[in-house]
Amino acid sequence: MRQYLAIIVMDIKLALRLRAVIFFNYLFPLIFFFTFATVLRGSKGDMAFVVTMSVTLGVLGSGFFGAGIRAIQEREMGILRRYKVTPITPAPLLVGSMVTGWIIFIPYIVLLLLMAHFLYAMPLPTHFFQLLVFISLGLIAFRALGLVIASVANTMQEGTILVQLFYFPMLLLSGATFPAEKFPRVMQIIHNFIPATYLVQGMQNIMLKGESLTKRENQLAVLVMLLTTVGGGLISTKLFRWEKEEKIRGSAKLWVLAVLAPFFAMGIWRWFHT
Amino acid sequence: MNSQPVIAVQSLIKTYDKVEAVKGIDFQVAEGEVFGLLGPNGAGKTSTIEILEGLRPRTGGNATVLGFDPDRQKQELKDRIGVCLQATNLPAKMRVQEALELFGSFYTRSLSSEQLLKRLQLWEKRAAFYETLSGGQKQRLALALALVNDPQLLFLDEPTTGLDPQIRLEIHGLIEEMKSEKRTVVLTTHYIEEAERLCDRVAIIDEGKIVAIGTPRELQQKSAERSRIDIVTGQPMNGAALPQWPDALESKLNADGKSLAVYSSRPARTLFEIMKWLDQQGMQLEDVHLKRPTLEDVFVELTGKKLRD
Repeated sequence: MRQYLAIIVMDIKLALRLRAVIFFNYLFPLIFFFTFATVLRGSKGDMAFVVTMSVTLGVLGSGFFGAGIRAIQEREMGILRRYKVTPITPAPLLVGSMVTGWIIFIPYIVLLLLMAHFLYAMPLPTHFFQLLVFISLGLIAFRALGLVIASVANTMQEGTILVQLFYFPMLLLSGATFPAEKFPRVMQIIHNFIPATYLVQGMQNIMLKGESLTKRENQLAVLVMLLTTVGGGLISTKLFRWEKEEKIRGSAKLWVLAVLAPFFAMGIWRWFHT
Repeated sequence: MNSQPVIAVQSLIKTYDKVEAVKGIDFQVAEGEVFGLLGPNGAGKTSTIEILEGLRPRTGGNATVLGFDPDRQKQELKDRIGVCLQATNLPAKMRVQEALELFGSFYTRSLSSEQLLKRLQLWEKRAAFYETLSGGQKQRLALALALVNDPQLLFLDEPTTGLDPQIRLEIHGLIEEMKSEKRTVVLTTHYIEEAERLCDRVAIIDEGKIVAIGTPRELQQKSAERSRIDIVTGQPMNGAALPQWPDALESKLNADGKSLAVYSSRPARTLFEIMKWLDQQGMQLEDVHLKRPTLEDVFVELTGKKLRD
């Protein structure tokens, strides 16, 4: 327990000292928030869309860049090699990464919701606490996914390509940046298989429709995020590498698909039920 | 050597794909000993040391470190040893004292960061970010991290490579302190003077094999290399009248007749006879030097390579 706590405290200190972390976790999504909120201000639905977009940007950035790219950087720079000679196992490092991301991100979410309420007259969600729980689950699930990408990427170049392959489709096809109802039929089918779709829809269900997490579709979204978190945690522990010289075989990249399996299952289920 | 060695290695083999980096080596390290693995880059030193640290699995043979099998009891072993790696890094924005406190939390037993910082002359730098430290300060921090769990066995993998001579001497001083505290130290190096100065025993390793093992002096004595005796006299010597001294292999007299170099396989005996002869000749001795083969000479003789090859 002492190891976990020490790593979390250290990770938080390091994160708050890095301008890039502050920029990508706070400033970058806030720029989007203010820009779109100023343009779309007025209706409850539009502000919920802006908040959802800003949160999704933050969650994906935290997962893929904050957890994934940073883990590759630490391996490439020989930082993990220094940890390797101590009795520590990968678990505290991975759990530390997830918890730190959450601790840094949650104040931003609260700030964002309060700004949307006080500056742009968006009503606060009825299930405010459940919304925070749901976003937290999404954040941890996407950080787990980022850590799996870090585990299967042999170099920073590979990692960057993999991250971009996930980041942009999730941003563009999840409904976070463009309303999914306006997608053509083929894109709507693809939309159902995009993991970030469930994060976006869950948030919109809670904020716009006033739904709670007990609603069946939201329960399923919670379930797939939990499965991704557990699966991602186990796989990234199993495939964890301390040194850049330890290469992983190309076929191991398929483990990323294993982590995404709950989302694929959800996509198939929705394909047949919509 | 004590009855129970701290490290015992038998027929150790390490293969990477088809390359055999370590080819069946044997050695033991006793408690309190500073043991050096000396060899050029790619000789198998780092592979050997990393197997013993529990960082890489061995391909064959046996190894025990502090009674633990480094392959099967990694965590227990890592909790008891200190390691200073050849190439390592810390996060740029981590402060010196934070690093010691963080790493200290990973072990079941740890020394106070304050004590270590003062000892390693890092107290003034305790609040500095890692990225602002000089090469020597980073290496002192690496040694402090290796000592954070107060280990009785330390592995130092090329601890002074790339450092300037003054900092190298500082690090030598720290290793000598560890030696005086009766800690067992395993050191890899390709600096001859480091091995000669610091090590109780040295294993010369080349192409994955130990080609010689012993104290630096024993290795020098085993050498077939000749010692050189340099004599300078006040009056010129007659080159034609120089006798054949016992065990002398070759003599060379300078043009001025006052400087003589004698190569010998048993320099003590030859030197004694030279002194006797000079006295009989009534010559005034102005200077005398005896140069024994260095560890580097021994290394070149055994491997046919220079250490920096």
